[in-house]
Amino acid sequence: MHIFHIRYRNTQGTLMRILTATSRRGIDTPYVQAEPSGHEYKVTLLMEVNQKQLGQLSRDWFAIVDVLDVHPAIAVQDIADHTRPPRDAVAATPHAPTSAVLPTDTSSQPALA
Amino acid sequence: MRKGSQIVLDCLRAEGVDLVFGYPGGAIMPLYDALEGSGVRHILTRHEQGAVFAAEGYARVTGKVGVAMATSGPGATNLVTGIADAKMDSVPLVCITGQVRSALIGTDAFQETDVFGLTLSMTKWSRLVKSIQEIPEVIAEGFYWARSGRPGPVLIDIPTDMLKASIPFGGPVKFTPPPTRNRMKLSECNETLIALLQQARRPVALVGAGAKLSGAVSEIRQLLDQLNIPTFATVHGLGAIEPEAPYYLGMVGMHGTRAANNALHENDLLLVFGARLDDRVTGDPTRFAPESKIVHFEIDPAQLDRVRPCELAVLGDLAETIPVFHTSLQHAHLPDWSGWRAIACGPERAETDPRGLAQPTIRFLDELFSRLPKNSVIVADVGQHQMWAAQRYHSNAPRGFITSGGLGAMGFALPAALGIQLARPEATVLCVSGDGGIQMNIQELATIRRLGLPVKTVIIDNKYLGMVRQWQQLFYQRNYAETDLSDNPDFVEIAKAYRIQGQRISEEAVREYPVSRETGDTLDQFLRSPEPEVLVFDCHPEANVYPMVPAGAALSEMLFEEE
Repeated sequence: MHIFHIRYRNTQGTLMRILTATSRRGIDTPYVQAEPSGHEYKVTLLMEVNQKQLGQLSRDWFAIVDVLDVHPAIAVQDIADHTRPPRDAVAATPHAPTSAVLPTDTSSQPALA
Repeated sequence: MRKGSQIVLDCLRAEGVDLVFGYPGGAIMPLYDALEGSGVRHILTRHEQGAVFAAEGYARVTGKVGVAMATSGPGATNLVTGIADAKMDSVPLVCITGQVRSALIGTDAFQETDVFGLTLSMTKWSRLVKSIQEIPEVIAEGFYWARSGRPGPVLIDIPTDMLKASIPFGGPVKFTPPPTRNRMKLSECNETLIALLQQARRPVALVGAGAKLSGAVSEIRQLLDQLNIPTFATVHGLGAIEPEAPYYLGMVGMHGTRAANNALHENDLLLVFGARLDDRVTGDPTRFAPESKIVHFEIDPAQLDRVRPCELAVLGDLAETIPVFHTSLQHAHLPDWSGWRAIACGPERAETDPRGLAQPTIRFLDELFSRLPKNSVIVADVGQHQMWAAQRYHSNAPRGFITSGGLGAMGFALPAALGIQLARPEATVLCVSGDGGIQMNIQELATIRRLGLPVKTVIIDNKYLGMVRQWQQLFYQRNYAETDLSDNPDFVEIAKAYRIQGQRISEEAVREYPVSRETGDTLDQFLRSPEPEVLVFDCHPEANVYPMVPAGAALSEMLFEEE
């Protein structure tokens, strides 16, 4: 089982978009908890996914307009103890969902060759 | 004081909208009531699906946001296929639906549908407007998300009471987008990419719709001119690469060219520029490009690693990332790939002359396409004719070939063609449809006639749902279950009923190569007419599209006519 923490802006439909990313794949989600988190919101999801689904789900969630960040983690037996996963339990997705940006200092370009 | 309906139209004008497509009804009547004098031209289609496909056509050919309007309930649900189509093919689209009045929402009122909930999984962003005051912000934000990043569909559902109510209105507003999330320096990717290129022995490039959507066609052409590696395109990437480029191998995928599919299967480094790598491109994903390392240039994080983890993902707008890579490559020492290029682009992998039952249809399309002016746009529906048209399309116009590629929505082409013709009045717009697809939105001939649009509609009539029948022939032991359309109406007479000139051309007329002067004149007159025209081509019922990669097969396992 995997546990995911997703931070999002609580705009119309954002939580539902997060959930439909799992339901369209027929993935059971036995535990869902959404709650305020500072100025934003956080939803915690528990589900059984394989490595490929883990990467795809993370990216699908990240592509939702009002999702701020996605933290997949290895889940353990007692969900009550793990609504906040230990730092060392965070599972790396194949690629971090980061955007490329133009270098601000173009003078460094020749050094790249 | 301004009514909500007037505010909506003011905000549309502020977003640069001067043309919308739609169909009126109860809940959206206040918006229609305010149209006159608003500066927004409304095109009345004969079905809401026609409206949304027309808006898509307009958006696909211009790159601007297309706008479709419909009423609540059935009007809204009739938009759904177009919304799903826009999601799959990254089309900037804003759909505005009327909703029952606020007090009735949730009561199963007349013509009430939860279109917001219904479309959550296929819209990029959506809102059910909850107060008249938020209309300007909602429209500004909706247009921002429709056109930003990977473009997509947006739905704005407005209860009818908010369209009727009035408030003091200070004018449209601008949306301030949230700060960009995690970013990494492109320079970090540069070094990895150069190292991968230096190690590669059989590199190839795949160009998809992202090349056009980002406006990076010129940049990608320049980059590929330098790399000079075998290159192919998805159906939405057609036109992004010069067909005459010596390294260009044509369309890839289920009905791609022999050379493109073989090169995609055999490469050891695949550069993907703005393509999703969907199953029609990859074939069996477990046997896709088995020795390949993938470098994926993509703006949508959800598209990465769908087939398998890529070696390098470059998230960003191609118009920004490609020039930086190109610059860094100027100083890199790259291997000599001429041997690989000679194999991949060599004559033994060239297309064979079309033969078999499909030959006359291909000849017909070749004759027709060769007579098109340079500014033409071909709009293909979905099915065999779509793939034949894609295979025979040899233009370098990036937005010159339009089709429903991801969703594969039959009935797309005719309404899309009218939207395209309105966007490009100077262009020759050729709609290529089948006898199945044309009947899914044939009512839009009335819209075309009413507007006097010179859309040229070709119907490839094989009296079957041809692509399904082809699969039944090849994979279901010729059990042609429910694909027989031999009782089709006479499309020439149908066209005449819409007061549109219709004519028919037989296979016999194009068997000779080149065609007779009489046939050539018929085609020329058809294309040059200032009026809408319909031309029915009688196609052999069992003509098939080849090459074909069977579903679940690897790209290297293509079927050919002779097999």
